[in-house]
Order: sequence, then structure tokens, then C-alpha cells
Amino acid sequence: MEIEGYNMPDDLYYEENHFWVKEEGDLLIMGMDDFAQALAGEIVYVQLPDDGKRLKLGKKFAKIESGKWLGKVYAPVNGELVGVNEELETNPGLINDDCYGKGWMYKIRPDDKGELENLMKGREAVEKWLLAEIEKYAEE
Amino acid sequence: MESKYEFEEKYREQILKCSRCGFCQAVCPVYGATLRPALNARGKMLLLKEVMDGKIGLDDQLIETLFQCTTCANCFHNCPSGVDVPEIIKAVRQDMVRAGSCHPAFEGMNEVLEKHTNIYAEDEPEDFERVRNRKAEYVYFIGCVGSYREDEPTMAALDLLDRLKVDYTLIDEVCCSGVLEDVGFSIKEHLAEKNMALILETGAGTVITGCPYCFRTFNDKLQYSRLREAGVKVVHITQFLQDFGFGVKTDKRVTYHDPCDLGRHCGIYEEPRNTIRKIATDFVEMPDNRENALCCGAGGGVRGAYAKNSIAMARRRLEQVEEVGAEIVLTECNSCVHNLANAKLRRQKFRVYSTTEFINELMEEAE
Amino acid sequence: MDEKIKQALIEIVGKENYTDSLIDMVSFSYDASEHSHRPACAVWPSDADQVAKILRLANSEKIPVIPRGAGTGLSGMAVPIKGGIILDLSHMNRIVKISIEDRLAVVKPGVVYVDLEKALEPFGFFFPPDPASGKVSTLGGNVATNAGGLKGAKYGTTRDYVLGLQVVLPDGRIMRTGSKAMKSVSGYDLTRLFVGSEGTLGVVTEITLKINPKPTATSTALATFDSLADAGNAINQIMHSGIIPSALEILGRETLAAINENTDLNLPEVDAMLLAETDGYTREETDYQIKKVIQVFEENNAREVKQARTDKEVEDLWAARKSAYAVLARIKTHFVLEDVTVPMTHIAELLKGVEEISRRHDIQIATFGHAGDGNLHPQILYDGYDQEQVRRMEAASADLFKLAIDLDGTLTGEHGIGLAKAPYMTLEHDPVAMDVMRHVKKMFDPNNILNPGKMGLEE
Repeated sequence: MEIEGYNMPDDLYYEENHFWVKEEGDLLIMGMDDFAQALAGEIVYVQLPDDGKRLKLGKKFAKIESGKWLGKVYAPVNGELVGVNEELETNPGLINDDCYGKGWMYKIRPDDKGELENLMKGREAVEKWLLAEIEKYAEE
Repeated sequence: MESKYEFEEKYREQILKCSRCGFCQAVCPVYGATLRPALNARGKMLLLKEVMDGKIGLDDQLIETLFQCTTCANCFHNCPSGVDVPEIIKAVRQDMVRAGSCHPAFEGMNEVLEKHTNIYAEDEPEDFERVRNRKAEYVYFIGCVGSYREDEPTMAALDLLDRLKVDYTLIDEVCCSGVLEDVGFSIKEHLAEKNMALILETGAGTVITGCPYCFRTFNDKLQYSRLREAGVKVVHITQFLQDFGFGVKTDKRVTYHDPCDLGRHCGIYEEPRNTIRKIATDFVEMPDNRENALCCGAGGGVRGAYAKNSIAMARRRLEQVEEVGAEIVLTECNSCVHNLANAKLRRQKFRVYSTTEFINELMEEAE
Repeated sequence: MDEKIKQALIEIVGKENYTDSLIDMVSFSYDASEHSHRPACAVWPSDADQVAKILRLANSEKIPVIPRGAGTGLSGMAVPIKGGIILDLSHMNRIVKISIEDRLAVVKPGVVYVDLEKALEPFGFFFPPDPASGKVSTLGGNVATNAGGLKGAKYGTTRDYVLGLQVVLPDGRIMRTGSKAMKSVSGYDLTRLFVGSEGTLGVVTEITLKINPKPTATSTALATFDSLADAGNAINQIMHSGIIPSALEILGRETLAAINENTDLNLPEVDAMLLAETDGYTREETDYQIKKVIQVFEENNAREVKQARTDKEVEDLWAARKSAYAVLARIKTHFVLEDVTVPMTHIAELLKGVEEISRRHDIQIATFGHAGDGNLHPQILYDGYDQEQVRRMEAASADLFKLAIDLDGTLTGEHGIGLAKAPYMTLEHDPVAMDVMRHVKKMFDPNNILNPGKMGLEE
């Protein structure tokens, strides 16, 4: 769906720090949403931790940087990091070009897929949240 | 002689001395990463010669090269004709800003430092769990990169100073703003005054800093002369740590990357190595070390303005870490740590640390 | 550049490998000579196929193409004097293969000389020519100019080590010359035709080089002389000593003064200094050879003779020698570096003649060079903004070339003709030879698109 010009696909879960999550078999794929990539500007560095790293819900597990901004990536669920998009090592700009496709970031094995229910999904919830975010950042 | 450009008045003769030999191409980090002659020192001098001859103007078209220089001075160091390219570039940038041509990242930085306390326009630093502005023997001055981009090495440095029982305090520091002078602008007097006032308030006799850039700014710049006149000494942490014993060792293979701002610009090569040799039994040098060290690519504002090329330069330096088989690469400049850590590929298993962070980790493990 | 051509080039090399921005055009206008001219654009091809497509396009549209390595040439070979497309080969910088058993290395043209040296070192091998610009210059450039260097007297020049080439012709066809065998006399020696052809007959896209085991020991000695004539005679006599030094360099008074300004070496400022190196596999061997050289020095009134004792001393001396011409650039705003070469029997006369020309035209000429193979580097220093001095420089240059030819020598030992010496080609080559050269050029490049305007071949 499109909200105020930002592309926010309906079928994804969204975490409040502007990361999206989707299911892929037993695993989860995670990336950055369109609003955040536009706000950040050209991404120049994405931290890609080693496979096997333990992820704790709500805790930071990686850093991401654009020319003017240093951001933290928070774990959307409890689980284990089982893969990363290695393309981002030499081409972090993929996040700007195609944040839902080629710019995917992390692959997670969740302890309990049920935790996905803590995230936002569906037009109503996402739209409400995003409009508030747009306003919040417009003020700054 | 009368010229509409200050850089010409100061440096015309030097620029003419460039014999176009191209020896600088061998050591310029920007050329090494991009293979583009326009970005190398010789290319810059050729452009300036044409500007002086009136063939081209000093305008926006020149930004891409004249504002893309880490000022590492490796070119100057290797120039048989003695052309001080970094100094010339800094002067040219001042002329360009006056003429209205500047890279937006630096214009932005200048504006940010009018209203904010740091180059990133961040509102709050990490508090590093320590009280600021108390009376103490030493002030520890962190610098912007350490405060807002590399908080882990900073925390480790502070933990280390605590273990060594140093009587220091942090202050509500603001950006030393030394970088502005190198990118076409001037040091912000109000920021310098704030730093000096806070330092003098603490009664400290010495300022220790982890940032070689702040180190140079406090020691060399006119705007900080009041500090020097008050008898306050400014030392870099590697000079400070030389006299301590740590009681820990590692048998991992360790190498050291000389930051340009500490090495070529200040001549500090041995103190960091003395400290490292105390804790590392297997210390190796990279092929380009000391005065020949290859720049990590972060300096001169290049990481902010040309991040992709900056990281590509760091990647080139890291190839040398691999070449010598080091497991740990140490350096004592947060900008270098930042750029090298970002550039490290996932498959490269060595780790990038500031020396203080590494020593602190060893001491922590020993407990 | 015409928009259609621009798009065609971008299609071949990709957007990031095409440029026509001002800053690139300015830097590509120059090499290390005093000549310059704007190109229309520049491209960075990544393989022979792309080079072939570019040449095919340029040939059909009649646009000049100028191949370029590191741009450190001293005669203007890489200067786009007729505009056109700069073909910057620096992206083609892979060392394809090193075979110690076959005693060869296969490289792409953009490989920097010193990078090949580093790659061969672990095997105890080297590629001898050792040009002074080796830290920066590329092997493609070395081949295009038949680069010499400090080891020329004993080891020869680039041409003696090129076993074969892959070349793209001006019409876009790709061909191979030579053989991986250590020697071959099969068909015409096309390899030799391309080496030293200054990028006017074809673009070299791969080079097979012969490599040598590297002698592990060297001895270095220097000697000072109160007169150039004595130094000249000493150089001459070395040939009678029974050995060939691996390097024999001469440094004149101005050169020594300029080097002192750039280093802490504190060299004696005398009329002439000779720097000699002998190499071998044992210290005894190299010392035996250097003693022969020292004997010749002493027999020719050397004021002081010294053998370098430490590695650092040796390193510093050769680094200083390699920086000579750039160091001399500190003296005046402009300079012209010549490389006239004469048979050894005439070297003393050449030295004297240079001094005379300097006096006659009242212009400063500093001297240094590869005395060991008769290759002098007189460097004329002048203020390029003073028309009078420019005139005197040109007159002195002309006299220098005439002198070299009169002494049975050549206009250029290793830097090439390019633009700088083009007007003097007929001094050295007879009309038949000139005619033959023009025909060869025309056969390869009927539309005259590949590095046009060079070598004095155009009438």
C-alpha cells in the first residue's frame, strides 16, 4: 500500500523502528522500510554480524549508517541470526534502491513465531503509525 | 603579487614547482581507490595551474576533486619537488568558499556547528556513566567521533583510565571545530571558548585526548592559545599511556595502523608502539608504516562527503593487515577505527580496535 | 563529444567508466612533459573486447584515440594533441600469471611496474629494466616507450624482455604476436615493431614478459670528479675493466645541489659524481667487481672514492638518483628533460658539448643520466613565462640534438619521440627510413586515428 508517497507493502510486519519482517518458511527476513531509507539518505554502511549471533527481542544487534545518521537495528523477536545479505557489504545502497527486495538485510530463526503478533500489520495499524511518524519527523 | 585568490598569493611558486612527475600517484589513497587522475595530487595541481593561468574558473566543477582529499600528506612526503599539497588544498578551499563553491557536506557542517555542539547535530551524547565537569588533575577530551559514533572504544578508554586510577574528569565538551579550518571555513570561536572555559574550570593541568585531530587543534591553533598560555598541557592518550604497566599480554599477532593525524602530521610513531609492545609478544609492521602509512580514507572530511570512496580506501589499507596475517589491528584515532571497522569484510576474521579498547579488554578478561 | 558517440561509448564501458567532466579533461590533457591539449572525453575499458569495440567505433567515425597508462611519459606521447578519446588502461591491472619454470610473467597493461616487482620478489625473480618512474608507471607504458632504466647497461631495456603481446589494431581486430617459448623466429618479429611504437600502431592489451632470477648481492660505490672530462673518461674505461656494472649513473653539479635540498644526504657538490652498482650472488663476487670499477675511478683522477656500507646508505643513494629530474624542477618554473644517447666512445665529448651549449645560449642545463649505456639526461631549466628564455631553451634543445647526431648518437635512448622531438626526426633518420615508417603507420592505421600527430610522421 502507499501512504503519503511511501511504499509500505500490506503483507509485511513492521517494527516501530522502521524495520519490516516477513516469513519465509521457518525463518524470518528483515529489512528497512521505505520511510526510513528515504529519511536516512544514502546508506553507506550496514553492520553484518556473524551467523549464530543470539538476538534478544528489543535489543540492538547491529548498526547502520548513512552520510548524516547513525542508526541502531533492534531485534524484532527472540532468536538467532542465521544469514545476512552479503551484497550489502559492497553495495549498501541496495537498501535505498530496493528496500523490500534486493536490499533485504537479515535472516532470523525465531524462537517463537508467535512473537510476530507484537509487530504491526495490516492497513489500519500501519497507516495510523506511519502518519504519526511522518508528523513527528516533520517537526524536527 | 596581486591576485584575486589567496591560495595563489601564498602558494603560486609551489604550485609551479609541480613537475608532473606523478610520483604522488603511487601513494595517494584517493587515486589508489578510484584510479582517477583528476583526484590525485598531480591532477589537483594541474587544475590550479590552469586556474592561475586564467584558463578555467574556481567554481563548482572543481568541488569533486578539491574537496576530496584526506589531507594525509603522503603526496607531500613523497614529492621530489616539495609541493605541500594539503596546505595548498586547505587554502584553495577557503577561496572556493569565499567564491560560493563548496561541497554541501561541509557547508552543512559549518551550519551545524553554529547551532549544535557537535558535527553530527546530535542532541545528547552517551553519558558514559560518568560525572562531568568536576575538579580533577586531568581532563579527558573525547572528540565528536568518539562521543557519537564510536562509543564502545570511548567507554573502554575510560574504563582503562579508571583501572589505572587516573584522576580525570569528562567535561560537557563541544566540537573542537578544528576540522572547519581545513574544509574552507574557520574554527568557531564560541565553541573554542566553551571548551577552554570548561577545561580551566576543572583546574586540570593536562588534557588527555584520544582524538589526534583535537590534539593538533588544541596544540596548534590560535583560537586555543589561551589554554596554552594558562600552562595547560595537551597530550594524546598514547603519549600518556607510555609510562604505565598493564600486567597483561596477548599472544595474538598484532599490527598497528599509524593515523595520519598522529603520524605524518605530528611525528608520533614510537609512543603507540612502545605501549603495544608491552602487551603484544607477536607484533608485526604492515608494509607501509610510520611516515609511509597508507591513509584509512576518513580524514579531511572525506568520510562525510565521499563515504563510498572513503570506505574503499579503508578496504585497501585492510588488505595490508591480511598480508601480514595479523589477527588484531590497533590504532589510536576514532576516525580510523570507525572507517576501518566499517570497511572490514565479513570474511576477514581480524578485529579492529583502538589500542586502549584492546588493553582494557585484556585487563577485563584477566579479572 | 557528439551525443551519439558518447552514448555508444557508454554502452561499451558503462556509465561509470566514461567521463567528459572538466576535472578529468584537464588532468588527461597532460603527461609529464610540457605539452598539453584537451581531449574530448575519456574511457576506462576493462578488457581487450571493450578496447576493440572502442577502436572500431573511433575508426569508423574518424575520432582520435590516445592510449594512456600512468601518464608519466616525458615526451608527450599520451597528450591528446588532436583531441579525441583518452583510453585509460589503468583498470586493466591484473597480473594474469607468473611461471617461474617458463621464466615468464603475463600481465595486463595497467599493472604498475613496482607491483610486478613485488609479486616476483618471493620467487627471487625480477623484471630488470627498473625505470626511475617504476613506482607509478605501468607496464603498458613501459612497452610503448621501450622503457630503459638504471640497469640498462647490463640488462638491456624493456624490448629485450617482451616475449609476446596481445594487440588491438586501429580497426578493432585483435591479434597476438610472439611466443611463450623463450625464443622464436617464426614469421616477422611483430612484437619488436610494437615495442616502442608509442601507441601509434596498436593498443597493447596483454604482455608476456621474460623474467630473470634476481641477483641477491650488490655492491655500491661512488666517486667524485673535479672535471666532467675525467668522469667521461672513467665511464668510457669501465668497458676495459672486464666487468659490466649493473648500474653506472652520472650526476652533475646542479643535480647534486638539488638533491641535497630534498634530502639529508649531504652529497659533495662537485662537477661530476659517478654512482656504480655491481651485482651477483655472493658478496665476494660483487666486491671483486666493484674493486675493478673503483680502480678505473682512481685511474681517472677521482677526488674521492667511497663504497656504500649499509643497506640504508645504498637505498638512499638510489632513491635520490631516481628523484633527480623532479627535484631539479624546484629550480625554475619549467624544464625540458632530454635523453640523448651516444656510443660510449663519445660520452666525454657529449658531456663537454652540453656544457658548451649551456654557456653559448646562457641557459641552465643540469646533467645526470645512465652513463653505463651512453644515455645522458640533460635537463634544461628555464622560466616558461619569459619568452626570451623559451626561445633560448628551444635553440639549446636543437643544438643538443644536432650534437648527439653528430656524435653518431640518437635523439632519444628511452623517453621516445612523442611530440617533444618530432621536429628533429629527419636529423636522425634518412628520407627512405622516414618514408618506410610513414608507410608502416599508414598500413596499420589508414585513417590515422591512433595517437595521431606523434613521432613526426605527419607531413
